[in-house]
Amino acid sequence: MSGFSFLEFIQQIINGLTLGSIYALIAIGYTMVYGIIGMINFAHGEIYMIGAYVGLMVITGLGLFGVHSITAILLVTLAISILVTGSYGWTVERLAYRPLRGSPRLVPLISAIGVSIFLQNYVQIGQGARDVSMQPVLTGGWRFGPADGFQVYVSYMQVLIAVITVAFMGGLTLFIGRSRMGRACRACSEDRGMANLLGIDTDRVIALTFVLGAALAAVAGVLVSMYYGLVNPFIGFIAGLKAFTAAVLGGIGSIPGAMLGGIVLGLAESFASAYLQTEYKDVVAFSLLILVLLVRPTGLLGRPDVEKV
Amino acid sequence: MTNKFSRHILSAAVTTILLGLGSVAQAAEDTIKIALAGPTTGPVAQYGDMQMMGAKMAVEQINAKGGVNGKKLEAVVMDDACEPKQAVAVANQIVNQKIKFVIGHLCSGSTQPASKLYEDEGIFMITPAATNPAITQQKYKMVFRTIGTDDQQGPTAGKYIAGTVKPKKLAVIHDKQQYGEGIAKEVDKTVKAAGITPVLFEGINKGQTDFSALITKMKKDGVDFVYYGGYHPELGLLLRQSREQGFDAKYMGPEGVGNKDISAIAGPASEGLLVTLPADFSADPANADLVKAFKAKNEDPTGPFVMPAYAGVQIIADAIKATKTEDAVKIADYVRKNSFQTPIGKVAFKDNGDLKEFEFVIFNWHADATKTPVK
Repeated sequence: MSGFSFLEFIQQIINGLTLGSIYALIAIGYTMVYGIIGMINFAHGEIYMIGAYVGLMVITGLGLFGVHSITAILLVTLAISILVTGSYGWTVERLAYRPLRGSPRLVPLISAIGVSIFLQNYVQIGQGARDVSMQPVLTGGWRFGPADGFQVYVSYMQVLIAVITVAFMGGLTLFIGRSRMGRACRACSEDRGMANLLGIDTDRVIALTFVLGAALAAVAGVLVSMYYGLVNPFIGFIAGLKAFTAAVLGGIGSIPGAMLGGIVLGLAESFASAYLQTEYKDVVAFSLLILVLLVRPTGLLGRPDVEKV
Repeated sequence: MTNKFSRHILSAAVTTILLGLGSVAQAAEDTIKIALAGPTTGPVAQYGDMQMMGAKMAVEQINAKGGVNGKKLEAVVMDDACEPKQAVAVANQIVNQKIKFVIGHLCSGSTQPASKLYEDEGIFMITPAATNPAITQQKYKMVFRTIGTDDQQGPTAGKYIAGTVKPKKLAVIHDKQQYGEGIAKEVDKTVKAAGITPVLFEGINKGQTDFSALITKMKKDGVDFVYYGGYHPELGLLLRQSREQGFDAKYMGPEGVGNKDISAIAGPASEGLLVTLPADFSADPANADLVKAFKAKNEDPTGPFVMPAYAGVQIIADAIKATKTEDAVKIADYVRKNSFQTPIGKVAFKDNGDLKEFEFVIFNWHADATKTPVK
């Protein structure tokens, strides 16, 4: 191709960061559940898909009511989507995990896969199996660079995605680090039996973990429906797979790891598309995963003592 | 006593079941079943609707005129979701239900594996939509199509690009599926023969939503024309994100993107998209009555696969009438040797099951989901 261009490189970083932010938001749901109960929540991709559907419906609904202020749309949509999706997260834990608390680890894994298949078909029956699309709510952006050459373009939406991702992750870190409930979470993650003996209601903590993970997936879902504007009942599978990869890459069980893993994965895909061929983006992303796991079996930021499923 | 009693009940039950089976078998002989195999769910179900709509209309109208040889036609819709695996399952169902005629499948990727079963089991198949050339290159006896092929469609697009558009830098993108990649290769071949080498020939993933990296690359390379081989969901997003990034190349796609949903997804970015489609049969004055019948049912006859599906059913009905048999193998023979007057014109088939003549036309797509022929 026609050589290296610095401005293109910058643009690809921006593209990668946007994609990575979304992966990171979903990845946190996987990593939190793993950190506390040591299991993978395979229904998480579907939870994200539900978040995206709710987001799209609320935004379309607000449009019908004549609400056009972007702040209002964003706040109302995020609130409703987090509420609805959070309750799905809670229900998944209540139905697929809690009754199987004492059973071998494979059992809840299978029941989570069951929930995932159920949710996919449930949305397919309720909403139809087709693509649902929406026109962008927030358009426009900034352009940098020579007027006659390649211009770097940063859309308002990309900035919004980055800002919201950072805000929610910061909020989550504060919550885990400073609040009483966050301390209980950390205690459960260290030693669930001991935490229980010391009077922590571990069932409640686990339920909270699922709800928090679902809430962040809802945020990702809303952002995706605003950014791409296309939703169907199957988007959860690929997004879930990518986010799970991001969580493992960063070190499953570690929240900063999930953020880092998401960003690294997003950048890797972006650069592979840019400097190799688009066909190779998944090859590069997953080769990177294998490489990292060979050198650091616990992922980039994982604790060495975490045991694997 | 109880023993004797239960034995009575048992024999009664067995008799009922046997009688029941008998009546089912009899009912099956009263109609001629035609399976309509295509996606009624999944991301490309819109095209399935066109196919089902056209075929059902034909079944209705033929039945209203008294059916075929005193029997009514019966349409049996089967959903393959455009998935090759599900298509094979559907084909097996068709074999098991002893249905002898199939209109479908729709996607080339699902038609290919299903066609093998139809050939092996002696089932007559007409696809109104699958355009990949490989389907009829298998030299099957039972497989036909009432649509053109990508080696007609690709060159039509390629010649237009090389002869009329004359882009400075051309990019060819496809979705790595049998249909999309097949047609992209045909376009690539045609423009290369005319002396234009695409600066980029790449595949994206089916279901991919983020194309920003690819768009940035095309923008940097100064691409001014993009040919996309694939279906509308991915192209819709590609158009939308291109406009967003300020990448203003013109796009062109095959009939798999020519669907109202492309405008729903891409919005204003779909204005000016070029699409190769079968000629708009609904504009043919000979079809005025048929178009009226569709409009009366509040259906849209302008979709590219509606009339080819109608034609498929009609060909089956005409062949059964003429041969006075429902033997699918004899019917395939008859169809190969004769010509039929249908809403897509007078059709005759080559030995491999392709139409002798079929024309693709280039349309200019508009943001309000309408289209106007180019030239």
